[in-house]
Amino acid sequence: MIHTQRHKDLRFNMAPMIDVVFLLIIFFMLVSTFVTAENVRMELPNPDKSLAQNVKVVDRVVINCRISDTGTEQRALYSVGPNPVESLEKISERLSAAKQANPQLRVIIRADKRLRYEQVRTVMDMVADNQIENMSLVAHVGSQMEE
Amino acid sequence: MNRHLKQSWGRSRGRRTVAQHTGKKVLRKHPAPTLSLNIAPMIDITFLLLIFFLVTSTFKRAEGFLAAKLPHDAGRPAVALPISPIIIYVEQYGEGISEYRLRIANFVNAPASFEELTLFLEDVQRNPGFSDDTLVIIAADAEVAWDHVVNCWNAALRAGCKQISFGRQSE
Repeated sequence: MIHTQRHKDLRFNMAPMIDVVFLLIIFFMLVSTFVTAENVRMELPNPDKSLAQNVKVVDRVVINCRISDTGTEQRALYSVGPNPVESLEKISERLSAAKQANPQLRVIIRADKRLRYEQVRTVMDMVADNQIENMSLVAHVGSQMEE
Repeated sequence: MNRHLKQSWGRSRGRRTVAQHTGKKVLRKHPAPTLSLNIAPMIDITFLLLIFFLVTSTFKRAEGFLAAKLPHDAGRPAVALPISPIIIYVEQYGEGISEYRLRIANFVNAPASFEELTLFLEDVQRNPGFSDDTLVIIAADAEVAWDHVVNCWNAALRAGCKQISFGRQSE
């Protein structure tokens, strides 16, 4: 028995793929919340039944205190927003300038939970020295609420 | 096969349709349109994307603020307070950074954990001379992990304390 093969038209149907890709793009555009560059990745404190609230603060300066993983000695790396600072005096200078520009400034301290208290206290002292009263500490939002 | 006769096959119903060329006049009978959604590529792409996001996604935990207010006259010489504040000492205990010990000034019983600290502060506020307006000072050891300090702050907030401040360990 001889089968004569018909010449088939081989075409890639891209329409469904484009539909799905566009659908996914729209989905991710709607649901994505972008992590701002000033929120440097670190291990934040995770208090029991945290009362931390995710509120929007407009006039703010974020000071990041990260931990240096390299080397044997534990070191703190400071940055104002996404920009690393060379010395602690630079933080004070920037806070002073920001305070003059906006007296109602709020300073947000994001510090790694493994840091020693004295390494964060240095920054808090600078905030106090610059007469900035509004300060917030960043911690994880509680996953389970108290009954 | 007749040259003037073309044959085509309707796929869906298997019906044979014929278009005939008869000289000048062309009679063409179209097959019934077949409506079929080819979902194979869609499923392919969907699974591909699903696997991609499953593999590459890292979930970020939500973070929030614990509001704090620094004293306005920071840096000035300390003066005696009119009422005695509740001073919580957070001390380094043992070798590991996760170890800590809590101590309350002028109180014998010390809470063992931050959960107990919340209950302790709630209990103290019920005593005469104390209220939720009583100043709470967190005096942490310099070597204590920042996590414990924030935990202590959170415990005081949970107890309903309205005035919480940072202090230094007395020498």
